Amino acid sequence: MRQAGAYSGLLSGGIGARTGPHSLPLARIKKIMKRSASGSTAAGDEVRMISGEAPIVFSKACELFVEELTRRAWAVTVRGKRRTLHKDDVAAAIAATDIFDFLVELVSESNGNSSGGSGRVLS
Amino acid sequence: MPIANVIRIMRRVLPTHAKIADDAKETMQECVSEYISFITSEANERCQREQRKTITADDILWAMSRLGFQDYVEPLSVFLHRYRQAEGDHRGSLRPDLLPIAPLLKRHSSSSNSHQSNLAFPLLPPPPPMPMPILHDEAPPMTAHPLPLPLPLPSFATAAVMPPSQMLPPFTAAAVVPPPQHNPFGQMYGGDGMLGGYYAAVGMYGDAGGGGESTSSYVPAIAPPNFDHHHPYAAFK
Repeated sequence: MRQAGAYSGLLSGGIGARTGPHSLPLARIKKIMKRSASGSTAAGDEVRMISGEAPIVFSKACELFVEELTRRAWAVTVRGKRRTLHKDDVAAAIAATDIFDFLVELVSESNGNSSGGSGRVLS
Repeated sequence: MPIANVIRIMRRVLPTHAKIADDAKETMQECVSEYISFITSEANERCQREQRKTITADDILWAMSRLGFQDYVEPLSVFLHRYRQAEGDHRGSLRPDLLPIAPLLKRHSSSSNSHQSNLAFPLLPPPPPMPMPILHDEAPPMTAHPLPLPLPLPSFATAAVMPPSQMLPPFTAAAVVPPPQHNPFGQMYGGDGMLGGYYAAVGMYGDAGGGGESTSSYVPAIAPPNFDHHHPYAAFK
């Protein structure tokens, strides 16, 4: 009873770190989700809400996604006996992988842009 | 997505000598945003079909498995589970009845004899409001210490300076040590418990009498739950 201070301090030591460090910002994830959840639907105007856990799942999912795409792109780099990972390697990895088909347009489109010398404006 | 975060994740899977061209970093950044949109759109359509207003984590996992990212679902489920657990632990962590020591405590106070008042309650992480009255009720009236609460303090002080390795031997000796004789004055000043614990710790527990028992009575019950309790937080640091 009299030791409450010491031990409650001991207990609460880890609480601040309970969610762990998210390597990607949750607010940014949620913004992108909002944009694609309200804009592209047939119903259009309907406002969709996003549960608090969804961006947390995405923060981890995006890590897995970046890791996988990077690994595949690096395999292309190594095959070409180079040591620098270029956008072409990423594009080749995307073209070679079925589940990354949804990115094909994005990389081919920016390929066209970058051949003119300018990069895309990033959001 | 912030490009620094994306680069950090990329570097994790690349060998140290690898270089990343700027255009590759930017492309990866765009791909991540596109990935979130792609998955969210699919989850959104499902919600619309089922006339739900909120996109949940389950919808996201479902959309991933539908769009070819089945391999992500399991690690993400584990991740989500751990997150929920940590959240739950956080909410309940200050309630003594949810602590893992609660069952040990109950078992102990029911099986132990009149030395209950020498249980080192201050060793418990939170001061338990619930077990105290129980203990008080069960304490036999003939034990000559009407105020069990202040007593454990000296024992606690002794226990706190003894490393766990030294506290373990008394536990093994507990089975052969006879029930302690009561010494109200010794207990009042913590002498019985303290000296007994001390001699027990240095290997003289065979003839330490009550001290050996009182020391062994709380050490095994308290030490493991302390570690258990810290585990959930350690996992997320």
